[in-house]
Amino acid sequence: MSAWPALHWPSIRGRARADAGPLLLVACVVAVVALLAGATPPLIRTTSDEATRDAIRRAADDAAVRVESDWPDDYGPTGGRLRSPRLADDVAGIGSLAKSDLDASLRSALRPPVTTVSSISMAVTDGSVQRRLQLEYLRDDSGGPAVTWISGRAPGPATTDQSVEIPLNGKPWPMHIGLSEADAKALGAKPGDRLPVQDERRTPYDVRVSGIFRPVDPGDPAWRLAPWLLQPAANRDGLGSTRFGGWLSDQSLPDARLAFRPDQLRRTVRFDADPDRLTWKSAQALAEAVAALKGGSAVSAERDDSLKWATQLDSVLRDLRAQIATASAQAAVLLIAVLAGALLVVSLAADLLTRRRTAALTTARQRGASLPGLATELAIESVAVTVPAAALGLALSFALAGGAALTWVLPFVVIALAAGPAFGTLAAARATRDRRAPANRSARRWARRTGQLRRAALDAAVVALAAGALIALRQRGIGSSADGDVGLPAAAPALVALAVALLLVRLMPSATRATLAMALRSRRPLVLFAAARAAATSRVLPAFALITAIALASYAFTLNATTEQGLADGAWQSAGADARLTMGSEAAGATVPVTAKVAAAPGVRNVVAARVVENERFIADSTAIVARLVVVDTASFRRLLAGTPLPGLPDPAGLTTARDGTIPALVRTSDNTLRPGTSFRIPLQTNSAIPLVAVGAAPPVGTGDDVVVVDVAAAKAGGLAFEPDTIWATGPGAAAAIQASGADGRLTTRAGLLDERRTAPLTAGLTRLYLVAAAILLALALLGFALAAAASAPERWETLARLRTLGLRPRDSHRVAAGELLPVLVVAGVCGPALGALLAWLTLGPLALRMLTGQVADPAMVVPWWVLELGTVGALAAVLAAVVATEASVRRRRRLGDVLRAGGG
Amino acid sequence: MNGALLAVREVNRTFGSGTAAVHALRDVSFDVEPGTMVALVGRSGSGKTTLLNVIGGLDRPDSGTVVVDGLEVTGLDEDGLSRLRRDKVSYVFQTFGLIPVLSAAENVGVPLRLARAEPGDRERRVALLLDLVGLSDHAQQRPGELSGGQQQRVAIARALAASPRLLIADEPTGQLDAETGLAVMGLLRGVVESEGVTAVVATHDPVMMALADRVIQISDGRVPAC
Ligand SMILES: Nc1ncnc2c1ncn2[C@@H]1O[C@H](COP(=O)(O)OP(=O)(O)O)[C@@H](O)[C@H]1O
Ligand SMILES: [Mg+2]
Repeated sequence: MSAWPALHWPSIRGRARADAGPLLLVACVVAVVALLAGATPPLIRTTSDEATRDAIRRAADDAAVRVESDWPDDYGPTGGRLRSPRLADDVAGIGSLAKSDLDASLRSALRPPVTTVSSISMAVTDGSVQRRLQLEYLRDDSGGPAVTWISGRAPGPATTDQSVEIPLNGKPWPMHIGLSEADAKALGAKPGDRLPVQDERRTPYDVRVSGIFRPVDPGDPAWRLAPWLLQPAANRDGLGSTRFGGWLSDQSLPDARLAFRPDQLRRTVRFDADPDRLTWKSAQALAEAVAALKGGSAVSAERDDSLKWATQLDSVLRDLRAQIATASAQAAVLLIAVLAGALLVVSLAADLLTRRRTAALTTARQRGASLPGLATELAIESVAVTVPAAALGLALSFALAGGAALTWVLPFVVIALAAGPAFGTLAAARATRDRRAPANRSARRWARRTGQLRRAALDAAVVALAAGALIALRQRGIGSSADGDVGLPAAAPALVALAVALLLVRLMPSATRATLAMALRSRRPLVLFAAARAAATSRVLPAFALITAIALASYAFTLNATTEQGLADGAWQSAGADARLTMGSEAAGATVPVTAKVAAAPGVRNVVAARVVENERFIADSTAIVARLVVVDTASFRRLLAGTPLPGLPDPAGLTTARDGTIPALVRTSDNTLRPGTSFRIPLQTNSAIPLVAVGAAPPVGTGDDVVVVDVAAAKAGGLAFEPDTIWATGPGAAAAIQASGADGRLTTRAGLLDERRTAPLTAGLTRLYLVAAAILLALALLGFALAAAASAPERWETLARLRTLGLRPRDSHRVAAGELLPVLVVAGVCGPALGALLAWLTLGPLALRMLTGQVADPAMVVPWWVLELGTVGALAAVLAAVVATEASVRRRRRLGDVLRAGGG
Repeated sequence: MNGALLAVREVNRTFGSGTAAVHALRDVSFDVEPGTMVALVGRSGSGKTTLLNVIGGLDRPDSGTVVVDGLEVTGLDEDGLSRLRRDKVSYVFQTFGLIPVLSAAENVGVPLRLARAEPGDRERRVALLLDLVGLSDHAQQRPGELSGGQQQRVAIARALAASPRLLIADEPTGQLDAETGLAVMGLLRGVVESEGVTAVVATHDPVMMALADRVIQISDGRVPAC
């Protein structure tokens, strides 16, 4: 005899065939959830990698690692300066030295270094147009970008005595350079010419053209470090000057060293991060290594010839890390929400199956089937349905996302596997257990009391768990790790939804009773019948699943709407207008004419020029404050801001006039050290200071929280004179107008910024996930509704048949059927979106959406009520109509007599 | 015969087809005079339920006609049948078929609501009927709180609520113990007298046969001509 319970295969097959529909639905839910839950973690990983590459690419110069090294002394034995013929190799040595400081992992993430030696920019003194010349030496692993000489020859040494020592203040030392064809043509120079150049102090330099070259590969990345070597760079400073580049060879570099003072010639090793070789994981190691190098160079800064590492790469990666942590935590929140919804629907399906089978299971028990045997039979069916579905979902995940994570899928599948057999076995056990109500009255009351107590304890446990998760979320934030391990906090929204839905569902019986009482007073029989049916079928699980799923769908959708709005607001905030132009430091003088030009252009509403000083130092009560200083014509700035969704500029009395040399200011500091009324000052180099007084609160200007805004007239009167360097413009033509002005500087457009942020991998991925999660949850809700309707259908139509024997018309019976399902629909349609909005309100802070929207503060919650209500109520109503129509059409052919004879509608 | 409240003529009803066909009713014909109580008697499977369903318009015969109170039931469409059930014919089932969340009084009031009776009239009629079936003290109790016999009495009161001409009862005592069954039968007999309705009651209870004005035997779907 086998220890296994006897299985009755024909019953297994028969049951499965009879209930193929619900079983197929369960399989679909399992497959979809397995796909989503399996694919999300690998997608987060690839999106993080993509975001890393994207961030590095966007950071461009900021992501480069620069190493600077001062020149060692070059004094000769007689006190002059000694020419060092091997200087080019020394320079290359710096590159190698820097490289040797990098460990292997770092080296593989960075492109090979390019070492540059750059001179100061010198004015070319002949001719009327402003032209400037800057000498450049480029050296990479292959020696330097290759060139061919089309006339003259490569720059050679200026002297035959390669190791000559020259006096400290002799004539300008000659140096030979090469010019590109374009530069030579623009300068009108040919081999053998001497270029008349001088520095700011009018000291002349002896620069001689030895040859004209053509780059072998103009696309060589090394040229990008000094593009003016290949092409004259027009208007770099906005003042109409043109920059030319003079190419130094290995042989002429030692002469350049002699011709300039050490501080006029900078040598730099530059490593560009290679985005294609970076992953999120390797980027983290890189950030640490880079931070360590920076830290090390700070310590050894006293040694002059030591390497000084400088890069923003670590801070770029730090920001990215925070973003990825936020995004993965949010993804976990959404995933848990979907899993919660799916589990409820799977339970509903199990419940439906069990109800359909109770009679058959009871008969089987009475015929002698053992409980373990029935459980095994049901488990076999459950495995046959769930496991292939989960496998299909995971296979799809592999195909679509290139991987499948089991972390979330496994527990879900286990529960989905167990639900059917557990419900069924319980039902079979209950059906055959003698459970007559105790005869004794007090015993009956006692039984009821314990039942209530047990339920209250369960409710309390769920509520306590949800409250705990919510508190954890609000105190600890969504999760500090970017590695995807999330805890209780990420489950908080789902748990709170479950808890509130549970409490709502507990209220439902009283509500339906009240409705019934009202319906009894109504003169419409249909209303009464519907209310009576609703009261009879008001069961906990369907309403619970429906409210929870709709709440979570609304939550996901609300987060999506909030993020969208936040992105739009964030773009306004960062750009400060429709377009912003930040002039190059050499071009600030052109700000005023450019402003006038832009203002006159079509499609421009408001333009204002300002001086924006990042990190200006202020002192208040001997506390140093670093804030952004904005010097602007406050009246025009106020007008400009008024036409934007940005907060307006207040207009306190006396803002535009300096009194007793004290400049009035609008202030805003995150720690509130500067408040209206505070006196503070800007310290100057000479022991004096410019006094200011805060007369009002400033709005945030740009990103960053600490701002001091002063009026340009008051500033001038108070002795704070600044040339404007920033232009803000609003209007549909603002960006085009700035572009057309031809001014040199960094143009930031709001639309461009918005597009850039919206399409950033993390943000785009997360918005997609919001929508997918919302759609799946809504689909689950509708499915749950249909399942619940199917579960109560037999009873419903039997009652309707009885009512028809009393004279109810067939079409009225459809109305009663719809009316019976209506209360759940209304409750879910009203409470679901409201609960979703509540969840968003409770969790918006910890979710830190600002990380993705680029805002200073978290975005304000946007609840798309109309979409939510129309979406959920509309979809539910459609399903209701479809359910009633199907139920009715299934029964249309059946005669009332048959229905009543067979029972079960 | 012209005065018959119910006239059944050559009714045939077959379920299924071919070799599996079940001839539930074969050429059944009979009349029932108004105000009489007829017991329809036969073994289980003899066609009692099928016959009652055809009479009440819950099922359609393959051939033959049924006329109730001058109305040809077999020629009515669904709306006509609904009207018939609302105004002329009512049923009492073996399984009572009360609405569980409504009190006894509210259950009795359901047909009156369907007939759009005035609330005041409805309440008076319900009170009267509950009194008639002896359940005045249980008016506010729900079916679950009543015994089987009490539930069936509520069902009878409900069946009488809209003052039907014909009451059809399909084994009304089938789920009741003998004593309760007897009481319910007595009640039926009584209401036929007091309300002046005509009743066709399917049963295999000899007591019922004794109480009936007339007994119609049915066996194998056939009713002997009378
Ligand atoms: N819907 C149906 N399909 C097939 N056979 C049926 C159907 N309804 C009744 N029958 C058959 O018709 C015969 C008469 O049944 P019924 O009228 O229920 O008998 P009774 O009520 O006297 O027990 C029985 O043989 C029964 O099996
Ligand atoms: Mg029968």
